[in-house]
Amino acid sequence: MEKNNRSIRIECPKLLITRNESDLQWLIGSPFFPPLTIISTFRCIHSGSSSPDFLKESEEIRTLLLKGLDVIGALIVGKSDPQKTAVTAVEAARNLRKVLSGKTNLENEEIIGAVADPDTGDIRFFVSENERSANLDLVNSVSYDANPEKFLWESGCLLLCQLPVKLPVCFPVNKPSDVEGIFSRAIEAVIAKLKDPNVVYMVEASNKASLDVVQPVILRGADLDFDTTAPNIEPLDEAAHSSEQKLLPCGHFCLKSKSTPHLFSAKNADILQVSVLLNRSEKSPKRSAPAVEYFPAMEETRLLIVDFKLEVLCYAVQGIPLMHAISKLIIPGLIDQLISMKQTTLPNLLTQHPELHPYHFCPPGIAHPVTVIYELSYGETEMKQVDARRSLHMRLGLPFDRPLLRIANSLDFSIKGRSSTSSTRKGSSLLKDVHVGIPSSGVSGGIVSLVQGSYEYYHYLQDGFDDSGWGCAYRSLQTIISWFRLQHYSSVDVPSHREIQQSLVDIGDKDPAFIGSREWIGAIELSFVLDKLLGVSCKVINVRSGSELPEKCRELAFHFETQGTPIMIGGGVLAYTLLGVDYNEATGECAYLILDPHYTGSDDVKKIVNGGWCGWKKSVDSKGKSFFLQDKFYNLLLPQRPNMV
Amino acid sequence: MVKAVVGEESQLQLVEDRLSQSSAPAQVGLVIGKLSSGLDRGFVYDLVPTPQNDVGQSACSVLEPAKDNRKKGSNSKPKSQSSDSSSSLVIDKEWVAEHARQVSRMMVGGINVVGIYVWASEATFKNSTMVLCQTVKGVAEAASLLEDDLDERLLIHICYSPRRWTCRNCTLSSNITSSSLRPCDFKMGRVLTSLQTFKCFYNFDLSLPIYQEKASKSETLVDVLRNGISNYVKELRGAKAMIDGNLVVNDEICTTNGLHEIELLLPFMKDMYIEACSQKDVVGIVNFTGSVCSFSFLNSKESISQAVADIKDDIIRSLLSRLDIICDEADEDAGTNDDVIKETRNDSLSEKPVSQLVLHSLRKNCNLSLPRRVFVPWLAGFKRPLC
Repeated sequence: MEKNNRSIRIECPKLLITRNESDLQWLIGSPFFPPLTIISTFRCIHSGSSSPDFLKESEEIRTLLLKGLDVIGALIVGKSDPQKTAVTAVEAARNLRKVLSGKTNLENEEIIGAVADPDTGDIRFFVSENERSANLDLVNSVSYDANPEKFLWESGCLLLCQLPVKLPVCFPVNKPSDVEGIFSRAIEAVIAKLKDPNVVYMVEASNKASLDVVQPVILRGADLDFDTTAPNIEPLDEAAHSSEQKLLPCGHFCLKSKSTPHLFSAKNADILQVSVLLNRSEKSPKRSAPAVEYFPAMEETRLLIVDFKLEVLCYAVQGIPLMHAISKLIIPGLIDQLISMKQTTLPNLLTQHPELHPYHFCPPGIAHPVTVIYELSYGETEMKQVDARRSLHMRLGLPFDRPLLRIANSLDFSIKGRSSTSSTRKGSSLLKDVHVGIPSSGVSGGIVSLVQGSYEYYHYLQDGFDDSGWGCAYRSLQTIISWFRLQHYSSVDVPSHREIQQSLVDIGDKDPAFIGSREWIGAIELSFVLDKLLGVSCKVINVRSGSELPEKCRELAFHFETQGTPIMIGGGVLAYTLLGVDYNEATGECAYLILDPHYTGSDDVKKIVNGGWCGWKKSVDSKGKSFFLQDKFYNLLLPQRPNMV
Repeated sequence: MVKAVVGEESQLQLVEDRLSQSSAPAQVGLVIGKLSSGLDRGFVYDLVPTPQNDVGQSACSVLEPAKDNRKKGSNSKPKSQSSDSSSSLVIDKEWVAEHARQVSRMMVGGINVVGIYVWASEATFKNSTMVLCQTVKGVAEAASLLEDDLDERLLIHICYSPRRWTCRNCTLSSNITSSSLRPCDFKMGRVLTSLQTFKCFYNFDLSLPIYQEKASKSETLVDVLRNGISNYVKELRGAKAMIDGNLVVNDEICTTNGLHEIELLLPFMKDMYIEACSQKDVVGIVNFTGSVCSFSFLNSKESISQAVADIKDDIIRSLLSRLDIICDEADEDAGTNDDVIKETRNDSLSEKPVSQLVLHSLRKNCNLSLPRRVFVPWLAGFKRPLC
């Protein structure tokens, strides 16, 4: 039954599989990859009584999935006969592909049907060669790739096309129902015009380095091939290099030297910027001297102008000729997005004016970007928007307590945005993530658990404010709040000492005289302020003596694994920020990654790290000195990650 | 600031010969050429004398001092070449400006009315700087260059004894003072033969909605078109261009000879000339469509992006000039024109040319054909359109 040479290739360390019986997940691949290569899965979230709601699923997946990627199969979680379940999966995937492509004849496409055991998580893969034969082949050879980024981006690139479109629509005032038909025809006209021979597509590198070297390339609509029956796009022969512009490959605009592996990611991918222009000098037989014609409205007429900001992102491998990337990826992408926006706008065309804007995200765990269209007329925290993000998190298998799909997380494609990596805050020169790259703790066989995400380093004397001797807990709090800001849980500005004191007075914890004073605050005050300003709740761990802290290491490690927020250490003595622990459960040996707010020097990472202001501290160092004092008590404040998306 | 000016020697020699044979004591006319802010240079291609005005008077005459009953050759030497040191010029400024307005319509891209010349004695010239500056200003207003308009024009003085060409740079911004005129280097040379020619066909298609609002109630068709064009200018200025099939990216110098074809690429359906509004009542729509054939000429040291800018200027100027011509015709002989339809209002028949119709009250279709552009050979083979 099995064909010898067939194998499934999975381009992610492991497939994220739900454990719920009969859940269905779409398997995502790309026509540019070897057959049976899976790069991610999208959960099916709209189901009818017995089968997926293909129309709804296709609408959402069409928006979400970049052109250049497609659905290549389905996976069903189930315990019953795997062969039968796989048949159901294959059928579902075929159906979805048909709805997505609008084609009815997909006979000769290989489709993967996979079955996952809900208890063990084991997955069995079957392949269906064509629609007519009910035969499924079991594929036993399955390989997982630990470095999917390299696979996707070593030879891959992104194409970005931003296209604002203004659509004027005239409709009779006393027959407003006509507007929908008129609007739909206007959309049809735009779609037709995208394929007009007079349309010109300009491709340029968006990377600064290549921008100087590679000239933009012009592709004329007349040269493009819109034959939908043509087979899939084939990469160009390496040998057959052509000087003809339309046959240039996408790789023409990509940086040649990509040796450093950490550069393989969607964020660092080469991006080809595509602009749509109209050639106004094309020779046409209708050429005539300027003339004017006036058409009076025969009845009361109103003009509606609909504004769409299309932004399409496509995935391609560098060997693909530009002309095919335009005609088979960019143009279908624009058309699909236009139709999707039309469908959102149409029901309330005359009463509402949604501000639709596409954003592209590259959430963790998924090696390729996805596209999402948000409605900007409402705030991001509106229930409707939260629900929309929640269902996206569900589809992509993302945790429900990480705001990963907020606009601030979207990929920034502006040249400026890609060249600067400094702090996003205007005028902010604060250091971020100072612990990255410091020497290891020296705990042998320990497991390191660290803060998840970026924070800014706040310490004594910053911004010319003298808080030496009393402000350490305030600085630790500022660092914690910066973490919440940078993970986009909150847009609250990092508060000053005075603002921190003010909020403690506001909640009645302190007297008004507290404001402007140089009084210390502790872990409990910090928890009040976090609750007041961010609505963040905290867990507190008390130890009577510094010598008890190592006992808490397991709990702290668990905190960093599950919550990932910076911890504030307060108590009888100085305040610190804890960024991680290195713990060997067997030996009990442990070290703490301490960020010390008592630093008074300039923001210079070398100085900070060499001076030990950010570094691993063992409970007892090599000289036998304890970092946490035995005769003092400590309060550990563990901010809890808000449960929100 | 233009610091050096080169005049086309073949043309200017003809002009000088013509002037020296003429009997006129003074002459004024237009300077045709180009001012390049990038190069700080001016180019003079030809000088065009301003003709006599509608009542047959010369545009320029010499005013001798009133106490002129001295015998000093007033009869024997009508040219008065050794004229009194106190004589000055009288110039029909409006007429010269009108001449400039009409001539500028006939120019193509990269060729403009860039100032005036005057044929007069040294002393007369010196006594007339005020009126000359005023004339330059009038000409500048009547024939304004469209894009990156320099704040200066040329004033060329051809002195008859001693026979000498001098060029001054006239600043337009400030009030006329002694510092408005600055001398600049002038020399003769060959400029016409090294000109590069660029040609562009431009197809346009404007839909201009006529809104119900009060503000547009008195707008005539020409007003609507003129507004439409001026809103469209921004879009056209931003257009990308291809020369002979290659996208213009860097500011290069054009090295190949022959006719170069320019193609203009505009944003796809991002019609900026349509004002962004949510919903507005309209009474009708004006469709303004057609093609413009445009030329521009480039000096050898100018960059190709200048040629593109000149082409864009030429397209806009060509469209606006056609509207001006229609308006002029309407002014001249309203009622006798062919392009007239009868407008029924309040049961009284009034006849108006189509261009002057107020669209708001018009309840029927109407058409208007704009004048066509015809090119005729001019200097050294380059063409000049007759509108």
